[in-house]
Amino acid sequence: MGQIKLNQVTKSFGDVEVIPPLDLTIEDGEFAVFVGPSGCGKSTLLRLIAGLEDCTSGDIVIDDENVTQVPPSKRGLAMVFQSYALYPHMSVRKNIAFPLRMEKMDQAEIDKKVEAAATSLNLMDYLDRKPGQLSGGQRQRVAIGRAIVRNPSAFLFDEPLSNLDAALRVGMRMEILELHAKLQTTMIYVTHDQVEAMTMADKIVVLQAGVIEQVGSPLELYRKPRNLFVAGFIGSPKMNLIGGDIAKQHGAETIGIRPEHIDVVASGGMWEGTVGVSEHLGSDTFMHVHVDGIEDSLTVRSIGDIAVKHGDKVQLTPRADEIHKFGADGLRIE
Amino acid sequence: MANRTIPRLLQTPAVLLLLFWMLVPLSMTLFFSFIRYVLNSLRRPEWTTPSIENWRGFGNYQFVWNQDSFWLAIQNSLLIVCSILFLTVSLGVLIAVLINRTFPGRGIVRVLLISPFFVMPAVNAVLWINMILDPVLGLQGIAVNGINDFIDGMRTAPVLGGFFSLWPEFEPISFRATQTSAYAVIMMVTWQWTPFAVLIFMTSLQSEDQQQKEAAILDGAGAWNQFRFLTLPHLARPIAIVVMIQAIFHLSLYAEIEIVSRGNGNKNLPYYIGELVNNNIGAASATGIFAVILANIVAIFLLRMIGKTLME
Repeated sequence: MGQIKLNQVTKSFGDVEVIPPLDLTIEDGEFAVFVGPSGCGKSTLLRLIAGLEDCTSGDIVIDDENVTQVPPSKRGLAMVFQSYALYPHMSVRKNIAFPLRMEKMDQAEIDKKVEAAATSLNLMDYLDRKPGQLSGGQRQRVAIGRAIVRNPSAFLFDEPLSNLDAALRVGMRMEILELHAKLQTTMIYVTHDQVEAMTMADKIVVLQAGVIEQVGSPLELYRKPRNLFVAGFIGSPKMNLIGGDIAKQHGAETIGIRPEHIDVVASGGMWEGTVGVSEHLGSDTFMHVHVDGIEDSLTVRSIGDIAVKHGDKVQLTPRADEIHKFGADGLRIE
Repeated sequence: MANRTIPRLLQTPAVLLLLFWMLVPLSMTLFFSFIRYVLNSLRRPEWTTPSIENWRGFGNYQFVWNQDSFWLAIQNSLLIVCSILFLTVSLGVLIAVLINRTFPGRGIVRVLLISPFFVMPAVNAVLWINMILDPVLGLQGIAVNGINDFIDGMRTAPVLGGFFSLWPEFEPISFRATQTSAYAVIMMVTWQWTPFAVLIFMTSLQSEDQQQKEAAILDGAGAWNQFRFLTLPHLARPIAIVVMIQAIFHLSLYAEIEIVSRGNGNKNLPYYIGELVNNNIGAASATGIFAVILANIVAIFLLRMIGKTLME
């Protein structure tokens, strides 16, 4: 079990309210990702759930039990930190065993659990090493091992992959997802990387300045962003947001169109523009096109082997049914 | 090869100076310790100049080895050094952990805590033995008198009188006596050197990783376990440094011993050497060599012990 509910939770540091009243439910077994730009309060929210910060007001309920006043270690949660926070003078074995030792479990059982965790994480060969002798990915696995042995009702990850290099990050992402599939335990994962959020989450919680902008599955957020912020934040490359007269023609203050929903046509396109920088990724090409009447350049995705050069003229047509409309208040208009 | 020659050449003056600095006094001491060499002898005037002619072999060592006062001095040296180390390190860790939190007036408290370290050793000794530990005029005498007066007064009190009349009269302790003078030295040096330990531990505590602590909190470690499994191991290296430096300094204590009781009951090795130097340079040098050996043994032993217990 591991259903986590936040009821009207707020957090202030001094006079600064970093999290205005907030409600959120994370269902048992769900992989929830908190995503948002830095300083949006996502880490604070995670620390509130973990109990490392006290709520200024509101309740945190885990499995129908109000844990707002319960000390962190009694909440049945395990956390993996950004810096891994391994105990540097203890061997890997002792690091993983530490929470069990604190529970005063007997040694034979501790050994059994540590070996089981180490086997599942491929750490058997490193059990007697110190964290300083391990690579970034191995340290990450030790931190996860230390979380697993406690058999928590939910795992909390605080930007766990941001200290790894790009290749390792993709690998660890898969390992964490495998782990989730195997354990079927609730996981809350904090990241500022929307790609990580899109690839991992069952449920994405988009935060800005402590406020939840939208909650939903990755595809819901992609297809129907509730407001301008979510529209601009989710999706890579970013959605093109166009204001002015063009938006007025569609009866909106701002319209959004994703790069992959603009087609390059031979003639008779809706817009004509000049190609600026194009990024050739092999599979796709991202062109930055300057169109008269649109302030920012439009990002357009096209096939990989399109022959365009800097300064070429192209005709563009957005797919009408993929245009997102937003009102003056920034909210989506259906 | 050439690119190594120049740096070596450039290092040479410094290395030579250091070698000279250390080797000359050490080899002179070694030389003196193997010859008969006294400052004044009417019977054997040839012994008053250091010369290889007066070779005595291990005679000086044997002479010192057979002196009871030499062994007493070693015993006292060890007692004083080990007690001071134990007290300064435990007090230092305690105070450093205590003032590592934020509280109003922390800056002033820290400056006050460091200040004993700026007092000169001789001044420190004079202050302690005359103003604090003196059985009549010092704080100790006044405090003991005060307690005695209080008990005296309470003896006639209505209900508790019976209880207080069972109490004895307290005697102030004379810290210049043979039995207690070593403790006076331990107290005053501990007072002076605890700030040094606090200073080193405090800087080390500030570099402690806070996420590790949070991880430990989530792992169910209470305040004591966090201290035992995170803070103490984190402090192992600074503790080793404090022990090492202090062991070297306190093996050569002199001023405090001279001022407290002129070596009565608290004579340590340097003081013993000092007494021999009044005439017998040969024996004093032999004792000096013993002191060097002792210092090395103490240092190695202490460092091993700390390494084992704290690093798990």
